[in-house]
Amino acid sequence: MKREADLALADPGAAARAGFRVAIGVPLLLVSGGMLGFGALAHDIGFASWEAVLASTVVWALPAQVVATELHAAGADLLAIAIAAALTSMRFFPMAVALLPTFGRVGLAGRVAQSHLMSATSWAFLMRSAAPSEPRARLAYHTAFALTCITAAALATLAGWLGAAALPQPLALGLLFMNAAFFMVLLIDQRSRQALLAVASGALLYGPVHAGLPEMALLLAGVLGGTVAFLLGDRLRPRS
Amino acid sequence: MSELPHPGFVVVLVAAAATFVWRVLGAVLVGRVDPDGPVVRWFTLTSYALLAALVVRLVGLPTGSLAELPATVRAGAVLVTITVWWLGRRRPLPAVLAGSACIVAAAWLAAG
Repeated sequence: MKREADLALADPGAAARAGFRVAIGVPLLLVSGGMLGFGALAHDIGFASWEAVLASTVVWALPAQVVATELHAAGADLLAIAIAAALTSMRFFPMAVALLPTFGRVGLAGRVAQSHLMSATSWAFLMRSAAPSEPRARLAYHTAFALTCITAAALATLAGWLGAAALPQPLALGLLFMNAAFFMVLLIDQRSRQALLAVASGALLYGPVHAGLPEMALLLAGVLGGTVAFLLGDRLRPRS
Repeated sequence: MSELPHPGFVVVLVAAAATFVWRVLGAVLVGRVDPDGPVVRWFTLTSYALLAALVVRLVGLPTGSLAELPATVRAGAVLVTITVWWLGRRRPLPAVLAGSACIVAAAWLAAG
């Protein structure tokens, strides 16, 4: 099966078309759903439509976008916004380290470009066995896949922004809730107990920290919760 | 919202820079770091905890329009989201749509 798929995708043009075709399915729905909610949130806190679309294309990381927007709405300073966005986006570092070598010999500019196009979804699809294995075909496949997703993200953000502006209030509230709902299902879908411990710690710590230090609550709950899970989880790990 | 301290696009560019740093770092250091090492693990866990805190904030202590809905409605929508996710073989889309539909229905009933 795998060899057959590889033979069909050996040519970069065919691989690009395959990447496009695969992206127009579940990945497109996931990206659009998330960005629709972000567009509504951006409208709710007073971003212009072009600022919302800019966020989805140049940040291209839903958690960083939502966290920055929320903190901005609460009047946080730029340093706090930068730290919170950086903490949620750190995942791109290990993801890039794992994905980029599979594209073969690509120059630094090319690696940076692929690393910007990369999302959690594109990464997961490239790591599946159904993706092409030949480096040049993988590069074409990923480029087409990710460009399709980022285009859908821009359009969905605009749609969410316009929806929040024009739809009746109940529907606009439904769009707003999608942000929280997406993160919820992402966070509870963990196989690792240590990750679940981090999720539970962050969720439980937010209320008490917010009561004492409302400005710093997100950052502190994140750092404390992550550290608790790191230390406890390490101790619980089997030593082998 | 004119009382907010910075223009929106400045906030967007700050968030973009904070995200881009990690992407570039990965592109530069590829082949020279262990993606499974303890430092990476701490950052990953911290980002999970921060996102969980963000969910609590978005639903429990919302700053925007969602605050207009009673807390019981928001808590009910969370429960529906998680239940549908669990019963629906962990598929994200039906769960998100069901949770959002709850919010829409409750807001509609409250308004009508």
